[in-house]
Amino acid sequence: MGYSLIWYLKEFGRTAWIKKFLFAKTAPLTTPSYFRGFPEPTGRICQHALFCMMACPAPGAIEVVHVGKGWMPRIHKGHCIRCGLCVEACPHGVLKSGRILETMEREGTSLVFSFRVVIDPVLCTGCGNCCTSCPVNKVADAQMGAGGHSSNDEVIMKVQAGDVVVIHEEKCTGCKTCEGACPTNAIRIARILEGTQQTVHEGSQ
Amino acid sequence: MKRTVDVNIPLGPIHPCFKEPARLKCEAKGERIVSAEVELGYMKKGIERIMKGRPWQEVMFLAERVCGICSVIHNMVFIEAMEQISGISVPPRAAYLRVIANELDRMQSHLLANFSYCYTIQHETLVMYLLDLREHVMDELERLTGARVTCAYIIPGGVRCDIIPENAELLQASLDRIEGNLRRYAGMFADGPMIALRSRGVGILTPEAAQRAHAVGPTARASGITIDGRVNHPTYQKLGFVPVSRTDCDNYARIMIRFDEVAQSIGLIRKCLQELPAGVIRGGGICKAGETRYSGEAPRGELTYFIKSDEFGRILEIQIQTPSIMNIEACCHEMIIGVDSIADVTSTFVSSDPCIACTER
Repeated sequence: MGYSLIWYLKEFGRTAWIKKFLFAKTAPLTTPSYFRGFPEPTGRICQHALFCMMACPAPGAIEVVHVGKGWMPRIHKGHCIRCGLCVEACPHGVLKSGRILETMEREGTSLVFSFRVVIDPVLCTGCGNCCTSCPVNKVADAQMGAGGHSSNDEVIMKVQAGDVVVIHEEKCTGCKTCEGACPTNAIRIARILEGTQQTVHEGSQ
Repeated sequence: MKRTVDVNIPLGPIHPCFKEPARLKCEAKGERIVSAEVELGYMKKGIERIMKGRPWQEVMFLAERVCGICSVIHNMVFIEAMEQISGISVPPRAAYLRVIANELDRMQSHLLANFSYCYTIQHETLVMYLLDLREHVMDELERLTGARVTCAYIIPGGVRCDIIPENAELLQASLDRIEGNLRRYAGMFADGPMIALRSRGVGILTPEAAQRAHAVGPTARASGITIDGRVNHPTYQKLGFVPVSRTDCDNYARIMIRFDEVAQSIGLIRKCLQELPAGVIRGGGICKAGETRYSGEAPRGELTYFIKSDEFGRILEIQIQTPSIMNIEACCHEMIIGVDSIADVTSTFVSSDPCIACTER
């Protein structure tokens, strides 16, 4: 007992220990610079590629809206899961989050998108809502009627003999407007994503 | 045969010692447990149903949200299953980086499991030490991937970002610190006389019983069954991975084997950093149609994904088999039987590291 008392006095009577006991302060909690937070705008001009919306895994977390004369992605923070895919998907570097953007630029990594229009023939009623709602169709054929009929072959899809025919799949920008317009959920835009990297890049090796 | 049962004791679903809700219904004679049954279903998410019809880039994030403790391995097994379907090969550098992320995740999961056990036997000093150690591991995971838990680090054909040399050095230095502390804490656990009273010889799971209940992971390895999914993984084979096992079969062995595996993970990460090949981290590749069954070793045992996808990489069917259900089975039907007191029931249950979030998905 006596021995341990001496040990305790020796252990806790040290000046360093007393100093630490009285004046030690925990460092304030700070978010590290590499933490992947909510995406923030970098100030570069949004060119309405919509890839951020297409890559986003959370429903309704990001949308591209009119701000003044241009476009700007808007993040809904309650929905955003901070995965950072929108930052990687944007070809123009409009968004940044943590160190994702600078890492991508240094390593030459990118996400490549392509879109396919898939129409379920069983569910499709041939109403033509998808054709009329499509913003690319509106540019290609401003005269397209309510039934989705068109004499123009430059449109993405049109109704022919009661069925929707996809003509120019490569023009699809993946905006998914047609999915919202379809009354039977027959049309689906398949978003094919590929993670790539330029094989020769400066920085490492 | 007539059986004398003195009292039925329900433990949980709300219990201060359980991390997640589960109900243990024990039948006790005196204080000795005669039989026990576990009741699950308090936190069903239905996440497999949510995954259906979505492309891989959405399912990837859902997969790592199946379990909050072992999220990286869910991401890894799902993506490697998709790669197996589509025939995508991984660049060697990306494969090594995957192992680093996975082993860091395993370390924090094992430390959390051991923290949980020490909390149950009320050794609060070790509790705080282990949680502090886990925070350092989580910081390293955050430095590597950008997020602590839901990292989303692994994508088909590679990983999302490279490790820069400064961060690799910081990781090395941090591993040295973690290893020193780990040795001290494992020694505290191994030599503590009070800990031995609560742990040695409690909750015996014999190798035969473990095989009968299909125990997996550290629970099986603590009973002398050397099964580990990592020996079948090509990157781990390159690293010369050999699983560890113990033959004590009790609570003490189950906790000590987790300490052993954390030390082993530190060794694997060091070896990865030494042998890290140069080159790209993403090889590209598009997910295709097909179906497969792919297994990997989660911190708690074998994790299996059964996936069927269509030609655009969308998931048509998905089934997840998680390791905890076998361990819970082994726990409530083999380990708990014959335990001497009610206080040991919770500690035995927690020593098998049940992850209810994984189990119920």
